[in-house]
Amino acid sequence: MDLLGGARIGVDIGGTFTDLVLSDVEGRTWFDKRASTPAQPEQAVLDGIVHLLDRAGLAPGDLIEVLHGTTVGSNTLLQKSGAVTGLITTKGFRDVLEIGRVRTPDMFDLQWDKPVPLVPRRLRREISERIAADGSIIEPLDEDGLIRTGGELVAQGVQSIAICFINSFRNPDHERRAEAVLREHFPDVAITASVSVLAEMREYERTSTVVVNAYVLPILQSYLQRLGDGLLDIGVSAPLLVSDSNGGLAAAQTAKDKPVFFISSGRSAGVVGAARLGRAAGALDIVVFDMGGTTASASLVQGGQISRANEYEFRAGISVPARFIKAGGYMMRVPTVDVAEVGSGGGSMAWIDDGGLLHVGPISSGADPGPACYGRGGDRPTVSDANVVLGYLPEQLAGGDLKLDVARARAVIERDLAGPLKLSVEEAAYGVREVANANMARAIRAVSVERGIDPRDFALAAFGGSGPAHACDLARSLDITKVMLPMMPGVFTALGMLTGDVERHFLTAMPGLLQDFKSNDLVVAVAALRAQAEAALGEENFTADQMNLAFSLELRFEGQDSELPILLPDDMNTVTLSWLHRSFLEAYEALYQYVAEGAVEVVNLRLLARGIRAGKLDFSKLVMTDGGEAIAPATQRKVYFGQEKAWFDTTVIDRRAFDGTGTGVGPMILESADSTIVVPPGGRITGDAMGNLQIDLSVEPG
Amino acid sequence: MVSDMEIDPITFAVIKNGLDTIVDDMAYTMMRTARSPIVRDVLDYSATICDAQGRILAQAKTVALHLGAVPDAMTVILKEYDDDLDPGDVIILNDPYAGGMHLPDIFMFKPIFHEGNLQGFAVVIAHQSDVGGRVPGSNASDSTEIFQEGLRIPPLKLYAGGTPDRSLFALLRTNVRLPDMLLGDLAAQLATCNVGERAFTNLLAKYGVATMGGYFNALLDYGERLTRAAIREWPNGRYQFTDYIDDDGFDQGPIPIVCTIEVQDDHLVVDFEGSSPQVKGAINCTLSYTKSCTYLGIRCALGREVPNNAGIYRCIDITAPEGSILNPRMPSAVAARALTGYRVVDAVLGTLADIAPDRVMAAGEGGNTVICYGGYEGDSETPFILVDMINGAWGGRATKDGIEGVTNPSQNMSNMPVETLEARYPIRVEAYGLRENSCGPGEHRGGLGLVRQYRLLADEAVLQLRADRAKIPPYGLRGGGPAAPSRNILDPDGRAEDVPSKLTRNVRKGDVLRHEQAGGGGYGDPLVRDPELVAADVADEKISRQFAEEKFGVIFMPDSSEPDIDATAACRERSRS
Repeated sequence: MDLLGGARIGVDIGGTFTDLVLSDVEGRTWFDKRASTPAQPEQAVLDGIVHLLDRAGLAPGDLIEVLHGTTVGSNTLLQKSGAVTGLITTKGFRDVLEIGRVRTPDMFDLQWDKPVPLVPRRLRREISERIAADGSIIEPLDEDGLIRTGGELVAQGVQSIAICFINSFRNPDHERRAEAVLREHFPDVAITASVSVLAEMREYERTSTVVVNAYVLPILQSYLQRLGDGLLDIGVSAPLLVSDSNGGLAAAQTAKDKPVFFISSGRSAGVVGAARLGRAAGALDIVVFDMGGTTASASLVQGGQISRANEYEFRAGISVPARFIKAGGYMMRVPTVDVAEVGSGGGSMAWIDDGGLLHVGPISSGADPGPACYGRGGDRPTVSDANVVLGYLPEQLAGGDLKLDVARARAVIERDLAGPLKLSVEEAAYGVREVANANMARAIRAVSVERGIDPRDFALAAFGGSGPAHACDLARSLDITKVMLPMMPGVFTALGMLTGDVERHFLTAMPGLLQDFKSNDLVVAVAALRAQAEAALGEENFTADQMNLAFSLELRFEGQDSELPILLPDDMNTVTLSWLHRSFLEAYEALYQYVAEGAVEVVNLRLLARGIRAGKLDFSKLVMTDGGEAIAPATQRKVYFGQEKAWFDTTVIDRRAFDGTGTGVGPMILESADSTIVVPPGGRITGDAMGNLQIDLSVEPG
Repeated sequence: MVSDMEIDPITFAVIKNGLDTIVDDMAYTMMRTARSPIVRDVLDYSATICDAQGRILAQAKTVALHLGAVPDAMTVILKEYDDDLDPGDVIILNDPYAGGMHLPDIFMFKPIFHEGNLQGFAVVIAHQSDVGGRVPGSNASDSTEIFQEGLRIPPLKLYAGGTPDRSLFALLRTNVRLPDMLLGDLAAQLATCNVGERAFTNLLAKYGVATMGGYFNALLDYGERLTRAAIREWPNGRYQFTDYIDDDGFDQGPIPIVCTIEVQDDHLVVDFEGSSPQVKGAINCTLSYTKSCTYLGIRCALGREVPNNAGIYRCIDITAPEGSILNPRMPSAVAARALTGYRVVDAVLGTLADIAPDRVMAAGEGGNTVICYGGYEGDSETPFILVDMINGAWGGRATKDGIEGVTNPSQNMSNMPVETLEARYPIRVEAYGLRENSCGPGEHRGGLGLVRQYRLLADEAVLQLRADRAKIPPYGLRGGGPAAPSRNILDPDGRAEDVPSKLTRNVRKGDVLRHEQAGGGGYGDPLVRDPELVAADVADEKISRQFAEEKFGVIFMPDSSEPDIDATAACRERSRS
């Protein structure tokens, strides 16, 4: 038995399913996919854990870590079910939250609805205090007024209070003092100062971030508390780590204190898992593609590094890839895996507009009634219906008892699409796939082309319920020739969590011109952040050799609003002014493809501190145990491939037939308990020892 | 024959999405690389792809009003540079009398070549912080001829075959107050054109020039088809509406904008006969901009699916009398023409209210308010020019309230963060918030206007203000009331001097300006508004109890925030009789 030994479990809660993956010290894994229990999300988690421990023959005490991705944060925003929240601002700035950045997501749309602010005006209060732009105090904090205001808010039923003062990022004293005073007077109310969450310039972004934090805090806190208690009840005393929006793991206590960092918990873990898998498989440049029932998301891994952003907007669960639009969402300026999401999933509906153009999504048939082919009352054609008509999905879903109704799928596509467009049913169904693929390609472009990166140099790693059925077509539409399908694509996010590390983020504002910059200031700032990070990771029992610290300095041309991070080398002696200047100009030119001139500004020093978890799951040592019975013999069915515009006699085969060094050539359908993989004519399939499949699309079918 | 080419609906959708992605990419590049707050924070720019004939194929979700100004500018470029375009050329212009709008908006065009032939243009328009002239910001509403307003640039090649024109660069640098910012933003415009050029050529290479040409036509036909389908729903007839600008800062006003729309089956004829003659102040609006605003107003009523391309123009004819404020003669001053443009949009929407009442809204705030401070920081010779724009409120709509804290629909601009503004300019913002009781009452009330208050910290500066709707408030529709008019107050906590909405004057350290923006007009009878909604607005202090009683006839229980249903019914009955 490994000294670090013990079993670990990864749990990812989604809208429809809760996925769990258990791994033991020898790398054996077991998975479970069960219906989520939205009213009490912890119930499915606890049931799943008991079930998997039983199957693996392990005792609760054998678990040494529980790793968790949860949609509790995003659902709280989506359903507006957060705490009754108050906001205290500087006098004159009560409405910063509601005004926002005043843009609209679409032009020419006079029927737009602006999202309702999370804190209504009646619960937004002003108090006297003012910090100047240089950080000096113009007006002192009115503590009596603050206590009075706090009391009024509490009397109105407020459970959580956010504080955001103008220019607090330059001088946090007033906010810190206000936080302390309110905590002292109102111990039962959650109090969050903006600088405790985000000490950066721009009052709307900071206000919105702290408000989301305050709004979600009591909900996530209570959920994690119930989950922790429930784990103890079933005998699991292992630490609970939660996946954050940036794909890192953190102690549950951090998630309870700063929930705004955990809104996209889970989704980001899939990207981290894919990047790690890519490294294990020798693929360093990958487009990560995750497609579920209502949305699809894309993210980029370059040179083994995940792309990240410093802010994003929560907008009814869907983010439009046009990233320059700040409108219509709940803005959070927190580090996040840079994921572009579009409203195309297996359940997305297809429709024709007045001008005769075919659209897919963003409306989804959801779980209820579901696609027409489910036979549960769905009457509108969806992407899944198109897939059934084209022969991609089986009449009987593997591992389930749901029979798919092909005739019904054909009928709705004929009636709603093929007839009006004067196409054959197959052409219309293929068109639905093509339009859905075009939408999803936008998500991929948003994270690649938009940044001057050519996706053709990348492999496409696809997972999620519907990802493997669309991956090859999507790759072809982007001229990507290499597709990677990981083991267990249907529960890959939970699996990926098992491979994650603990991450903490630190930031120091260092405003000034680069030419006036003193290298020594940087050395001092680096040392200060290093000390903070080492203390924080030390508290979570990481030793010095398990810590990985990555510093980056953010630079921009004077006058610009967007920074570029320059990663600092380990040896700080090599960091000179001219090195920084040169590195910035090179990065700038590489990104925007023109040589710019002008003075360069320093903005922030950032630190990403990682605690490398000992004994975490290693993809290269993973042993698959699930899948049930013996490998089923191959069968044949007719499948329509649109590029060729023809039906093909296609081999349908158990994907485990490729584990090890199996090879094959499309057209082929690979089925397994958690997914269906579609390989078009000419696609060359290779299995590897880890259970991944590679599909090479570089050879056009002859 | 290209027009007979078979159109595959799938390829069509993919190419349309591809073009939308290109202009998105362009807009994003501009935001990331620009140097001035007016571009990078407020987003006063636009990005467009045109085909070789200058027809718009797609426009990014940026300043909507630029959409209609591109065609006339393209006509000028194609005429001036017929047979004189080469790869690597970059042309700029800003002359309102040669395809431009007002001098701060510099248009940049990059012809796109593929396989040796001209295939299209990347077009980027950006509002430059200063192009010289008598007032910092080059945007004054009280200039009286264009020669006071700054440097006029006819269509000129900034780059010829990739080589910069040093003379032109030197001329630009010498004639503006903030040359580094101007050149930085021009570089950003060029980077944006390059992104568009690269992506567009990739698309051409993928599908082939002939195929793409066929799909471009199909795309414009599709825009036309959707437009005609929408217009056909509207009742034939002749409709008229008049809205007003307060004044031009010289004469008394008001200045009428008269819009007449004739619906002829699936075609619209719009005329502005009866509108004011051209005026002395700088709010004259060139015909290209008048057309742009008219397209925009109509476009808003068409529905969201209509693509942003030139197909729409085929269904709409627009005329305005020569020598009028909407079609002025050289050398009328035009710097503040955006104000007149907003009123054209208001007049068009007002006319459409009789044609498609569920597609429009009551008048919004009347266009953004522009506030410029120009001066020198401390003792230094470092100039500063703040160009701040305040947006805005929407009027009530057929089925819902207006919106507060929102861009005018003709723009899609953003706002400058207070902290960014204070860090960059010797100015402190003392308030930025919603203006209580400023909404127009209605079954669906208008949005509240905004308040923004500035204190000058430098020794002195030139303050330049462009606002309106102080005398003629935003109109309501279908029984909805007008919004509160705007106010501009110097030293609001002291002598509280009301100043005119078009103003250029010197201010000193410590002087405070407070702008109170008009709200949006109401839609429908305010006496049928749900009392609970009125009570919610009172609880939010968006309106006062007195306002609730006077405008909505809602009476509250004593010492309670609950409306008194019986008393409210009685009060409403009295108001009706």
